[in-house]
This record gives sequence, structure tokens and C-alpha cells, in this order.
Amino acid sequence: MNQTKPWQTPCAVVLSRMLTALFALVLVMPLFAPQARADGGVTAGKVANPGAELWREVRQREAPLAGATQVTGMDSGVLINTLGEQWRRFRMEQLVPVAGALIGGVLGLIILFHLFKRGVRLEHGRSGNYIERFKEIDRILHWYVATVFIFLALTGLILLTGRVVLIPVFGHEVFSAIASASKEGHNLFGPLFLLGVVGLFIRFVSKNFPGKGDLGWLLKAGGFLGGKHPSAGFFNAGEKIWFWLVIVVGLTISVTGLILEFPFFGQDRPLMALSLVLHGVGAVLLVAGLFGHIYVGSAGMEASLESMTTGYVDVNWARQHHDQWAEVCEAEGAVIAGEDLKKKQQLRGTKNRVPNRPATEEGQ
Amino acid sequence: MAQMKFLCDAERCIECNACVTACKNENEVPWGVNRRRVVTINDGSPGERSLSVACMHCSDAPCAAVCPVDCFYTTDDGVVLHDKDICIGCGYCFYACPFGAPQFPTTGAFGSRGKMDKCTFCAGGPEEDNSAEERRKYGANRLAEGKLPLCAEMCATRALLAGDGDTVSDIFRERVTWRGSSGLAWGWGVAYSKPGLRNSRDVEGKAAGKD
Repeated sequence: MNQTKPWQTPCAVVLSRMLTALFALVLVMPLFAPQARADGGVTAGKVANPGAELWREVRQREAPLAGATQVTGMDSGVLINTLGEQWRRFRMEQLVPVAGALIGGVLGLIILFHLFKRGVRLEHGRSGNYIERFKEIDRILHWYVATVFIFLALTGLILLTGRVVLIPVFGHEVFSAIASASKEGHNLFGPLFLLGVVGLFIRFVSKNFPGKGDLGWLLKAGGFLGGKHPSAGFFNAGEKIWFWLVIVVGLTISVTGLILEFPFFGQDRPLMALSLVLHGVGAVLLVAGLFGHIYVGSAGMEASLESMTTGYVDVNWARQHHDQWAEVCEAEGAVIAGEDLKKKQQLRGTKNRVPNRPATEEGQ
Repeated sequence: MAQMKFLCDAERCIECNACVTACKNENEVPWGVNRRRVVTINDGSPGERSLSVACMHCSDAPCAAVCPVDCFYTTDDGVVLHDKDICIGCGYCFYACPFGAPQFPTTGAFGSRGKMDKCTFCAGGPEEDNSAEERRKYGANRLAEGKLPLCAEMCATRALLAGDGDTVSDIFRERVTWRGSSGLAWGWGVAYSKPGLRNSRDVEGKAAGKD
């Protein structure tokens, strides 16, 4: 076996090249590129198969390639499945290297960004007063989807890139056990992700329609351009894009995943190959997006994580990042003083839900 | 070393399925698995042709290329084999293979696939030659005994040829010369239509010995 291994090319790929590659990958979808079947690779090698001409003739016939056979298996009557070669090329020459470059690149960019910019701080410190942002059911749903997705992403990436990354480390036998466990786990927990995506849609869709200020937010790239923090409602345009990405891509990878997981409803190879392509491209996009989501929700933005752990955010945080929403809350009197919130949570038997920090403006 | 290849002569195959039966019997393959199958095109119509299909032991095997656990290997004889102890039954080889060779017993829960099974060119697997373990997992290892695959040995009309690629080619070329037709195993273009097609593709070379 002397096949070329494209992933062994140097990993130093600039971002623009990666994005261009991904763009081309998604848009052009090489599965449908007819030039890919130019030479099927069937006859490559030192000794040509003496039947090569026969098979070429079979493949080039104008009539359908299916015939009659006594064997009753999936696609048994099909003599040549030309799509397989295209799927192989897409997976080995595009999906695997681009997945590695994109995920590694996004992770590297975030680390670089954090080293130089240190994320977004609270401009006016903490007020010590709070607004409720996410109800308990929303937080449970969020962490449910997060747990399931991270598990599926890890097991999926093991199956996608393990041959390149893990076999050299663990060897074939150990990696086979890891991959087998990953496959079973991926199949077992995969359907739970679909439930989570449906739940997210039901709970959050009403807050994620395009609204006032979204265009301005996008034009200023969320505050990266133009200095001043752009105006935003409960969710800003970036969060809305992430929501719709999770819904659309999440549903796509769920549906294709179910097609792949239960292969006994007569799915033929073209459908399975297409499902694998959509599943892989979608999953890689979501994993890359997830890194950004995790960063912005934790180290990248001071006091953001509390909204998903305690459910409450500091009023100053709300004013800075979601001014339209903060205005409405303050007008409705939904602001809770820190002491009141602590009492409320102690009554409910929950301790230390709100970070026990004094207001920074008042000092200690 | 030899480069083992199969060749099915469509002018000779009479769709008797003896190769399929011989393979099943010799290798004791699991239920629902057929390492070899006969496909008939234009069944019942003029121009009907049959071909016996199994793993073609590709030089650049797509199954080996896509396998996420890298369980395939090529023997010195050019036979593509796989290690069932490594295989995780993902099915990717089946999607990549042009010939539909990889087969999967449905053994697991929810119809999940068992470990892949395919034609071994009657060359067993990675275990010790002709050991009980090898026989249980992969079937016969006739190559180690100096014999060719049983499907080809069993073929009544000698349509299915197996052996070193060069030898198989020579035998087939001799036949074609005797028939006085083109180098195409597919007798299609010869007997029924389109002589212009052959000429335009310049495929007369082999029959004329110009190869």
C-alpha cells in the first residue's frame, strides 16, 4: 500500500486558505463533480487487471448499471458503484485534512486572540444587582445539549481523524478498541442530540428572529470594528446566527446520522455516501463554531458564564452587551438586588448560586 | 511475485451460480453474506450477459483507503485482506468499493453491522496459515496449499479465471484471438452493434497484439 497521505503535508496553513477551502468544500460539494470519476483508480498499480477493459466497458455503458442477481443484498444488482470513488476522494483528500486544519486553526486563533486581547471586560465593573436571564429549564436544556454534543464530537472526531492522529500513538489494536467504543457510543447517544436540538428550537426560537439592531451589530462585527459596543436585544446577531446554525446544521447531522445508524430501511450506497458527506461537513462546522461559542461564553467575556450557571447576570453586564433588553428589564422593575437574590435562593435551598462578590464600584 | 486477479469472461458465463455456491461452501461464510455474486444484464433479452463479481483485489484499494481503523493489508501475492480483530464494522469500505464486495452480517442490536466479510481470494487472513482460528474467521486458505480460489476452479465453462494477472491476461487474449473479435471481454460491441465505438476508442490494440 503506497497511497499518498494528504494529511502529511505541513500543517502551517494560513486562515484564508482554510476558509477558502471550506467555502469551496461546502459550495462545490465535490460529490457531484463529474471530473472526479476521470480515472477510477481501479486499475492503478503495477499490473493492470486483465478485466479492466471489461469493467471500463461496464461502467461506460449508457444503460443503467443494475442487473438481475440471485443474491439478495443491498445494491447486489449494481455492477459498478462509481460514487464510491468520489466519496473516498472527498473524505480522504478534503474532509479529513480540512477538518483538522479548520478545527486546529480556530482553536489556535482563539488562543492567540486571548493572549493578545484578553477578552472583553466589564466596562463599569459589577453593580451587585442582577437580572434573570435563563430559567432553570433553559439551563438544563443547554447543558444537556452541550454534554451530548461534546461527547458526540469527541467520538466522531476519533472516527474521522483517529487513523491519522491516534494510530501512530496507540497502534492498531488499541485504537481499534477505542474506535469500536467510539462507534457504539456515538450510535447510542446520537439520537439524544436530536431531542436536544428540538428542545432548543422550542425554547429559544421566539428570541432569535432578526430584529432591530442586528444589522448594525453585524456591520460592527459585534464591537470589533468601530470601538463602541453595538446595540443588541436579548440575543445579539452573533448569538442568533449561532442559534440558527445549531438548529439547521444540528437537524441535518441528526437526520443524516439516523439514516446512517439504521441501515435496514433500504438505504442504498449513494444515499449513505451523501449522508456521510453532509454529516461530516455539518459536524466539523459545528465543532469549529462551538470553540468560538465556548470562548465567548467563558474566558472571552467577563461575567458571561453566570447566565448559564446561576441563570442571573449582573445589570452592568446586561447594559453593556444587551442594552435593549436591559432597558426593558429595568423599566419592568425586573432588577433584583444581590441580597434579595441570595435570600430567595437560600429559601429554595440552593447555596452560592450567585457569585459572592461585592459590587466593585463601591469597593470593599 | 504474482499479482492475483480475477477475470470473468462474459462470453462464457452461463449464470449457473456454481461459483457463488462453491465460495459459500468452501469458506463457510455467515448467513446473509455472499462473497461472490453473479449479475446478469439485460436478463431475458437479446444481448444478455452475466458476470461473476467479488472483491477484485484492487492495487489501490478504496476500501483500504477509507477504513477508519486501517485494518486492510495487501499480501505479497497482491491479495487484499483485512484483519477482523481490528475491523469495527462501520461499513465505510462498502460505500467506497466500486464492486460491492464488502459484506456485513447483521449481528448486533438495532441491525448494526458485524465485522466485515469479503472474498479473500481463498487466502485466509492474518492468522497462521490454515489454523483453526483462520478458518473460523476467514474461511479457506487454498493459496497456502498451492491451490487457486475454488470459485474459479469450480467454474464449468471456465468463464471465471483466477490467478496471476499476466497469466490470466494471456489465457484471455488467446481466447479472444480464437474468437476473432476485439479485445473486449464484453462481447456486446462485437456481436450486436457499434463497431465504430470500438474503433473510436482504439481498443483493437490488444486483439492485434499491439499492446
